[in-house]
Amino acid sequence: MALLELRAIRKRFGGVEALKGVDLALEAGEVHALVGENGAGKSTLMKVLSGALQPDGGEVWLEGRPLRVRGVGEARRAGVVMVYQELTLVPDLSVAENLLLGRLPPLVRHGELAARARALLEPMGLAGSLPADAPIRSLGAGAQQLVAVARAFGERARVMVFDEPTATLSAGEAAQLFQLIRRLRREGVAVAYISHRLEEVFELADRVTVLRDGERVATAPVAELTPERVVTLMVGREVRATQRTARRGAEPLGRFEVEAPGLAPLSLEVGRGEIVGLAGVVGSGRSEALEALFGLRGRATWRGRPVTSPRQALRQGLFLVPADRKTQGLVLELSGRENVALAVLPRLSRLGVMVPGRERGLARRWFDRLRVRPDDPERPARTFSGGNQQKLVLAKGLAATPEVLLLEEPTRGVDVATRSELYALLDELAAGGLGLLVSSSDTEELAGLCDRVLVFRGGRVVTELAAPLRREEVVAHVTGAREVA
Amino acid sequence: MSPARARWRDLLSRYGILLAFLALATGLSLLSPSFLTSSNLLNVLRQISVNALLAFGMTAVILAAGIDLSVGSVLAVSGAVAAGLSVAGWPAPAAMAAALAAGTLMGLFNGLFVAAFRIAPFIVTLGGLTIFRGVALVYTDGRPITGLPDAFDALGNGVALGVPVPVWVMLAFLGLTHFLLRFTSLGRAVYAVGGNEEAARLSGLPIVRTKLVVYGFSGFAAALGGLVLTGRLNSAQPTAGSGFELDAIAAVVVGGTSLFGGRGSVLGTFLGAAIIGVLNNGMNLLDVSAFYQQIVKGGVILGALLVDRLVATRKE
Repeated sequence: MALLELRAIRKRFGGVEALKGVDLALEAGEVHALVGENGAGKSTLMKVLSGALQPDGGEVWLEGRPLRVRGVGEARRAGVVMVYQELTLVPDLSVAENLLLGRLPPLVRHGELAARARALLEPMGLAGSLPADAPIRSLGAGAQQLVAVARAFGERARVMVFDEPTATLSAGEAAQLFQLIRRLRREGVAVAYISHRLEEVFELADRVTVLRDGERVATAPVAELTPERVVTLMVGREVRATQRTARRGAEPLGRFEVEAPGLAPLSLEVGRGEIVGLAGVVGSGRSEALEALFGLRGRATWRGRPVTSPRQALRQGLFLVPADRKTQGLVLELSGRENVALAVLPRLSRLGVMVPGRERGLARRWFDRLRVRPDDPERPARTFSGGNQQKLVLAKGLAATPEVLLLEEPTRGVDVATRSELYALLDELAAGGLGLLVSSSDTEELAGLCDRVLVFRGGRVVTELAAPLRREEVVAHVTGAREVA
Repeated sequence: MSPARARWRDLLSRYGILLAFLALATGLSLLSPSFLTSSNLLNVLRQISVNALLAFGMTAVILAAGIDLSVGSVLAVSGAVAAGLSVAGWPAPAAMAAALAAGTLMGLFNGLFVAAFRIAPFIVTLGGLTIFRGVALVYTDGRPITGLPDAFDALGNGVALGVPVPVWVMLAFLGLTHFLLRFTSLGRAVYAVGGNEEAARLSGLPIVRTKLVVYGFSGFAAALGGLVLTGRLNSAQPTAGSGFELDAIAAVVVGGTSLFGGRGSVLGTFLGAAIIGVLNNGMNLLDVSAFYQQIVKGGVILGALLVDRLVATRKE
């Protein structure tokens, strides 16, 4: 009998069915990898498992008994823990205090605290690497994660979930984490492990479950799988119709040169009307590269002129559509009109005084052109839906008439209909001569949209693929399946 | 929520302050026959003028997600500079202009630490509060400056077209502030920086310059308040304006401006200052003990914020 079973789990967010009846069984003493593309449902499934989300249908069974939890606290007490380092540790308390948090008597002698912490760390082989007295704040991301795992283990967790734990870790830290996970396995803990990096999956896991579009497509022992097979299962068979048949943008628009911490020096040419994709998992360097191009980090030049701040980048004809429209893209309390005008205020004013007609005209044009709904520029930006908020950010950028548009995760959290509208718009913009750089974790998006894709891994571009692009190929390079095989 | 109720909420959140003000005024006019007389109302307006001037400057700072605790001290320094230079023989207009410049400079000093050195506004202006108070004491040697030219009396106690001069000053500055915040690209930048600094930065807005300007503006407003107060008292006191920062902040928040920045208006602040003024006036007319007045005033401030919070959370 499996230690933990998920039976026919369903979950829907608004109109999107994130999980369509997924079954999953975790055995004691196994590392079970969950793989799938972005939006396949991995993280949602694990949130259901760890009590962070309530399923709309289906059941969770622990040791042959149904488990009903109304939150992560209850799941934790039942022995099911999701390991996030940043959410569960108190940065200013010591390692020992964090390990024993919530289980301490009101008065503790200092020596006793350290002794109890050591008793926890030693059997896990961590006593040497984690000083019990050190405040959490002073530790690196990897060490913090080890503390979080040790604490969960000390609380007798029987099921532990890791969601992309190595995204922020160095290679050495990751190796240490793997060692710890293997030890958990020997102690009989069931480990669920989400990762986009197939080399990790093949190094660590006993079994693999592949999810696609909210459904489980396969569960198999890792020995019976190859990286190519996993990629095929992840991607399925469908091919998008809008795919480019050949590369456009032969006429060069300009060249970026980038140097930034954690990134290998990068030189990137963009053609007129070309859509260049930046692919890679979280932490691969693709987002960092895009930010550097817009003057947010490191040092970059565009056409030989330095780009050291967003303000300067805008003057040089660049605009960044950031990943998070609510925290980076829009001023939510201002109206749609005011947001659209934000990047071109000098053009809409005379001697510093806004000319109302110019601003209304600008907002009207872009609301029409992008078909923003509801069609009312006077509404506060916060009242628009996700897809329409994304259109507002785009309108703000396009109003500034850039030559190159940089986009980070342009369709994250956008509904399907608006998404295809946005794709059509980006296509149209490229046809009009705009250069586009699209950084995305959605390989389907990249394969469907781009003339060329640069694949990032470990802070450098490892491959460049040109249209016609095959999604399997992009996925294989992003996950590193090509190198594993 | 039904559309009708949603509309009620919207009205309540937009005009709630106005309604509260009208309710308060109606209640007082029923309780005290002397409340609703033009002389009493003009008196109230004159009484709130100094606080309102500080609060208008404070509104710009708070809209940009900052705070300015130093306004009371800036007021004292500016008043002392105007008085001191006048006594030293400067023509009154020149002395007053110098005082306004001094206030603006003190504000820019705050702004420099907030914008360029990125120190929390609360800390910076708390430092400013202490430093500028010290400057006022040093400049005046701890003694009031008296024997001012007539221009000061005219500014503080004069009447033009039947309305006290401080009220004219307040209304003119209200108009100016409203214009700057609502109808200029600078004002738009203030709302954007306060509402979402990251989005403002990615839109290429000049963050540092915008913050410098709002703190400079608040310093200017405090100096203007200092001139009016010096005129009213016909002397500059080194301890003038102690605690005024809290009254100014109270007027801003009662007026519906969010302490988190990005939402509110200076017209609301004017109503906020008026509510506090009417409340003080009404309690005086009704012979409420000064001790109780404090409690009631604090209660009204908390009540205003509570209503705002309830309306805001329902809207989510």
